[in-house]
Amino acid sequence: MATVNITINGQKVLAKAGQTVLEAALDAGVDIPRLCHHPAVRPYGACRVCLVEITGQRTLQPACTFPVSEGMEVFTETPKVVEARRFVLHLLFSERNHYCMYCQMSGDCELQALAYRYGLDYWKYPRPFTPLPVDASRTYFVMDHNRCILCRRCVRACGELVGNYTLGVRQRGANTMICADMNVPFGESTCLSCGTCLQVCPTGALMDRHSAYRGLEKDVERVKSVCAACSVGCGVELVVRQGHLLRIEGDWNAPVNKGLLCELGRFKPLFEGRNRVRTPLVRRDGALKEATWDEALDAAAKGLKAGGAAVALASPRATNEALNAFVRTFGRLGARLGSLTPVPEFLAKPEGSLAALDEADLYVVVGVDLGKEFQVAGFAVRRGVTNRGARLVLLGDGKSDLARFARYRLDVSQVNEAVALAQGAENPVVVYGAGAGEVLPRLRAALEGKARFVGLVPGTNSRGALSLGLNGARPDGAKAAFILAADDQVDEGLLTALAGVRFLAVQASYFGPLVERADVVLPAATWAEKAGTLVNTEGRVQDLRPAAAAPAGVKTDEEILTALAARLG
Amino acid sequence: MAKVKIATDWLDACAGCHMSLLDIDERIVELVKHVEFTSSPITDLKHPPKEGVDVGILTGAVGTTHQEEVAKRMRERAKILIAVGDCAVFGGICTMRNFFDKEEVLRRGYIETESTDAEGKVPRSEELGKPLDRVKAVNEVVKVDIHIPGCPPPAKALWYALTELLQGRIPVLTGDLLTYE
Repeated sequence: MATVNITINGQKVLAKAGQTVLEAALDAGVDIPRLCHHPAVRPYGACRVCLVEITGQRTLQPACTFPVSEGMEVFTETPKVVEARRFVLHLLFSERNHYCMYCQMSGDCELQALAYRYGLDYWKYPRPFTPLPVDASRTYFVMDHNRCILCRRCVRACGELVGNYTLGVRQRGANTMICADMNVPFGESTCLSCGTCLQVCPTGALMDRHSAYRGLEKDVERVKSVCAACSVGCGVELVVRQGHLLRIEGDWNAPVNKGLLCELGRFKPLFEGRNRVRTPLVRRDGALKEATWDEALDAAAKGLKAGGAAVALASPRATNEALNAFVRTFGRLGARLGSLTPVPEFLAKPEGSLAALDEADLYVVVGVDLGKEFQVAGFAVRRGVTNRGARLVLLGDGKSDLARFARYRLDVSQVNEAVALAQGAENPVVVYGAGAGEVLPRLRAALEGKARFVGLVPGTNSRGALSLGLNGARPDGAKAAFILAADDQVDEGLLTALAGVRFLAVQASYFGPLVERADVVLPAATWAEKAGTLVNTEGRVQDLRPAAAAPAGVKTDEEILTALAARLG
Repeated sequence: MAKVKIATDWLDACAGCHMSLLDIDERIVELVKHVEFTSSPITDLKHPPKEGVDVGILTGAVGTTHQEEVAKRMRERAKILIAVGDCAVFGGICTMRNFFDKEEVLRRGYIETESTDAEGKVPRSEELGKPLDRVKAVNEVVKVDIHIPGCPPPAKALWYALTELLQGRIPVLTGDLLTYE
């Protein structure tokens, strides 16, 4: 790689050609303050706190946008620079409401940290005290315009990263405001509630309802793990305080999602509506009663052995380790084994890389609604369409939220048109899901060697389940059944199919119709409470790490299955 | 050497900043070897002496004509004026009323509160200071020499500032001595 010799504060630095002054300085360990800059979005140069002195330049220059060049001399903390930064901070504090003492971000706020760094012990300019609205129309987080510094990180995250362009600014100068769409309440806008804006906001303008006032960065631990909402397998950072899960953030370094998460991954687990199963339960005289682990495990073993014709089904939300224990335990019993989520034959093997979505100039999406499932893959399609001018062909799914991004909405009968469009593209990618069975063979036959195919498998860890021979099965004809439900939700069909089952043991984290129907309930840890590995749709094996504390009396899947195996003999 | 004279007073304040001053604990014994507290809102003598003091400390924001007078009097009588606490330095929580019309605030405070009976009325005696249209930081009314923000400022920040002054230096708050909360 071409390099450039520069000096920063007199220190020789070998920068990479094409880097900005800020990037070169950070690589060299020199911290230049910034507010509008975020490494995940493009440099913007709005806030002016990264101003530096560059020899030969008439005025101070923003380090975040200024490119390095051979022989450049940069000075990052001269009296002139510090004076300019203090001036910028005084201006920022003279707008809106930046009283720290009643802000939930106080202590973690980037604006406050800079004011401390540059010793602002008073404010130079009077404030206008214009009351600005607080928009609490979204379920998971609140926008307080009074705390906003108009850095536009949120706007750029929404557009550049998610490709959704819900956020923008309206008006000019002192009247500038962040707004959604054509200035509608955020909750009524095209916002997807993915929370990327929340994650990048430097101040208390965007406030997370779940974690607000529950702990500052100094009070919490961050545990890198993987999201279990779908088979995309996004990297997450679980923010926990004393065993309590406060917040879920996208891991900027994760290869799959590069910091993004969707509503299902970021917020849903924190707003779990189901009640937790906290003790083992055994059905006595028609009702589920609390029992000890020994009583429940004995009852489960007895019922499963006595019932004959047993079936054992596992949720694909279970880890590889749990599924292994599951297969060992019930294989020995001679039970029929399966998974709760059927995977069609054409999705049985991993195909394609999600990274291909950021290279495509044409998408053919078939048999999957990327607006509802696999949303982070959908974000890649959105940003491909809005930022790179890629074209989207929705084949057979006109109702998807992605429809407004589609250039072509075709019925499955028009598959030949989709093929023709793909033939004419440079880098077409076919994204398919479980509903693509009908047309996939035709697309494959026509586009083999031309298009890249990316398969999105239903079920979080279906890849792990399939590798152990577990695919969708129903308890039809069984007399006894064991269901490893983990923290999954089960569908009506399964409950109907369980009608003929005389004995049902369930391993579950939450109450629900399945637990209500069970004869024995074994309470299990949730996704955030256990260790293990999950395989994503691409076949990537990723680590799940325990972050939250499970309630006393709850065991992990492996612990339960091992104890049960001992009793099944 | 004559003792350094210090006077304190409060404006639109909650007394928390004076509490923080007392929170320097037994070090106050050390301090009074070198300084004389001439007056404060929590001692018998309330007003800074006419002959003046070396250091004047004001806590609280300026919300009424009376507080404006108190601030001006302290400025006149003190060689060095310190604004202590977020209210004195920035206006602080008292400025919350700046987002509303003054009469609306008075009505809400004296008539419409849930604990007020039908007799509620806004006090408008000539002897009382009149609310200003807008609550201000002390430095919007008089010149302030040293600012010590915090809600309240930590006792160690007050101790640091006073001991620096005693040694003839102007205190510059850094690290955890500078806080807004």
